Amino acid sequence: MRRSIVAALAALTAALPPGAAAQQAPKDVVLLNVSYDPTRELYQDYNAAFARYWKAKTGQSVTIRQSHGGSGKQARSVIDGLQADVVTLALAYDVDALAERGRLIPRNWQTRLPDNSAPYTSTIVFLVRKGNPKRIRDWGDLVRPGVSVVTPNPKTSGGARWNYLAAWGYALRKFGGDEGKAQQFVAALFRNVPVLDSGARGATTTFIERGIGDVMINWENEALLAMQEMGKGQYEIVMPSVSILAEPPVTVVDRVANKRGTRPIAEAYLHYLYSEEGQTIAASHFYRPRMASVAAKFASRFPRIQLFDIREFGGWQVAQKKHFDDGGIFDRLYQPR
Amino acid sequence: MRATTLIVAVALALATTAARAQAQLPAPTTPDDSTAVRPPETLEDLIQRVRVLERKLELKQEEDAARAKAAPAIVVAGDGVAFRAADGSFQLRLRGYVQDDARMYQGVAHPGTSAFLLRRVRPILEATALQRYTLRIMPDFGNGQTVLYDAYVEAAFLPQLGLRFGKFKPPVGLERLQSATNLMFVERALPTALVPNRDLGVQLQGVVGGGLLSYALGVFNGVNDGGMADTDTDNAKEVAARLFAQPFQASESDALRRLGFGVAATRGAVHGTLTSVSLPSYSSPGQLAFFRYRADGKATGTAIASGDHVRLAPQGWYYRGPLSVLGEYVISRQAVALDTASATLRNRAWQVAAAYAVTGEDAGAKGIRPRSVFDPAKGSWGAIELTARVHQLRLDDDAFPRFADPTASARSARAWAAGLNWYLNPNVKLVLDYERTRFAGGAKTGDRAPERALFSRIQFAF
Repeated sequence: MRRSIVAALAALTAALPPGAAAQQAPKDVVLLNVSYDPTRELYQDYNAAFARYWKAKTGQSVTIRQSHGGSGKQARSVIDGLQADVVTLALAYDVDALAERGRLIPRNWQTRLPDNSAPYTSTIVFLVRKGNPKRIRDWGDLVRPGVSVVTPNPKTSGGARWNYLAAWGYALRKFGGDEGKAQQFVAALFRNVPVLDSGARGATTTFIERGIGDVMINWENEALLAMQEMGKGQYEIVMPSVSILAEPPVTVVDRVANKRGTRPIAEAYLHYLYSEEGQTIAASHFYRPRMASVAAKFASRFPRIQLFDIREFGGWQVAQKKHFDDGGIFDRLYQPR
Repeated sequence: MRATTLIVAVALALATTAARAQAQLPAPTTPDDSTAVRPPETLEDLIQRVRVLERKLELKQEEDAARAKAAPAIVVAGDGVAFRAADGSFQLRLRGYVQDDARMYQGVAHPGTSAFLLRRVRPILEATALQRYTLRIMPDFGNGQTVLYDAYVEAAFLPQLGLRFGKFKPPVGLERLQSATNLMFVERALPTALVPNRDLGVQLQGVVGGGLLSYALGVFNGVNDGGMADTDTDNAKEVAARLFAQPFQASESDALRRLGFGVAATRGAVHGTLTSVSLPSYSSPGQLAFFRYRADGKATGTAIASGDHVRLAPQGWYYRGPLSVLGEYVISRQAVALDTASATLRNRAWQVAAAYAVTGEDAGAKGIRPRSVFDPAKGSWGAIELTARVHQLRLDDDAFPRFADPTASARSARAWAAGLNWYLNPNVKLVLDYERTRFAGGAKTGDRAPERALFSRIQFAF
């Protein structure tokens, strides 16, 4: 019986044309992209586009699974063993944690891709109710008595840290670089925050669904999405005079991708974000594209405003320690009501 | 609904108070250059306040739910208390049992002392990390002593492959491997006297074929028959192995499904000294020694272990519905020396035991679980099991008279017993046994007097 099986296999092998094995389609591959909350819809579209591109280029089928949650929490999950081939998070600080605490990526991860490994950007804007009844035009209006501001807790939300630093940067400019007055300004702003949600999606629920507050500080892409999908003409976007350039970074998780043998495709996945198609998809989901030609095409969607970046605060490590770590400035200026 | 109404009422009261206060106090200032003054409370302000309160309540509930989800779980059940990490990665479990016995010997001239005794008092601590690594610690405070019975770590890599090291039961005697809480009788039968009780070592173990075959293979310090020790007296080690098959466990027929049989063996070498003879004594079901090797403290009058020690133990059990049958046979072959004399002695024991749950519960290696709990007011009586056994231990004829005194040590003990187990509930079990043991030899003239004993036990296990 065993001889018969061996003979049959030998005959079958002989019948195959030379090199048939080499011509077989490459094995299907699955990638896991661990991202933060607001990118869910962006990556649904982008993953489909990349799968088409990759199939056409290599003949290999790729399935990209997505995981979304708070940026810091997602980083902790990866450090704790979630097998992410790539991460696309809200803050460089959270990606740094993969290098510092998880030793999953090299410390110079941010230099491996163009534009600080941030293929698209966003900024922080205001979403107000239709007609802007409280006449909110700029950051200074957020500390007026009677103005109710919705923003999440910067201790727990990556997006809220951008909000906080944008307000701080505005105040530094307004008060000539006086840090004391900047602190008083941000403290006054947070006194106008009636509910401190733990994340950006919770803050959106507070503002949109529960009808609380006069203004919500939020990612530009989230504000535009809310306008398009949830607001239905009930909200307006207010661009402040100055805001922060938010650079959500991306990187391959070296240790996982090397172990799973997915590094080449994981790298291609992130590189393709910089392609014209990748940039167009990002822009259509309200992220500011890096590529000039795509930016020009969507120029009307993204008004030009004065932007400063995280380097103004000495980078994320310094900003985190100074403002958001336990005992930092936020702990001193914010008193829960 | 009631909560919302309450919140609205509270909010309105707060708003009214705040409005009054607002009228009396100057408006707060901010570092910004705004000169706006807080307007008086409006209906919209009040609605906002209510919404904020509702949202805060909602967030508090979400936070509480998340905290509850992340909090360690405490599970209290009939089989112990478990403290479990929220992610299930670590568990600490506390179990235990107490056996409170009465042992009554029949006959005025009997050498035993009838007494009540705490036979076993055993708290059990088990910790499990990552569902794979288990630590078990079980001391015993029974009989007025403190003895560490189990202290081992087990790593279960796969069902087919696990590793256990520490102090535990070597894989030999069938009845010995049963938990003391699940025994048919108050005391184990005579074959258990020939197998190790607890030993220190390391053991590979596993189950293959989905339970078709279980195996264990270990290396131990080596202990006397029925013995246990926390230290070793020589460099020689004992290898123990056991194979146990349940070939019909997947069968649809109930007739053979729970038939299990196997064989266990040990092999080692033991060399005793005058101060540590490394030889056992054997006790009757009433826990009275009926055989001892000669030991007067002098080389000319003390038997010692002098080489190979091999055990072989074929064994099996059968369960069908309320019926349990257990049988085992043990040969313990040991080299013994006394002064210039030496011999390899073969001591043998066997038992056949059976139980039947007259209340109809299914029997198993872990005893029976009563269908009802004892509650006379409701007319429920728990589970009742009737038991019977015969067993024998026979010493090698060559042991007499050179290595053992035939006027003090019996050549054999043969016993029969009948009993009743009453499971009041899954935790409480009452046992009543009568056992009669006859001896061959062991007296200055003729045979040692038969042992007739009544055993009773109240067991609480969790």
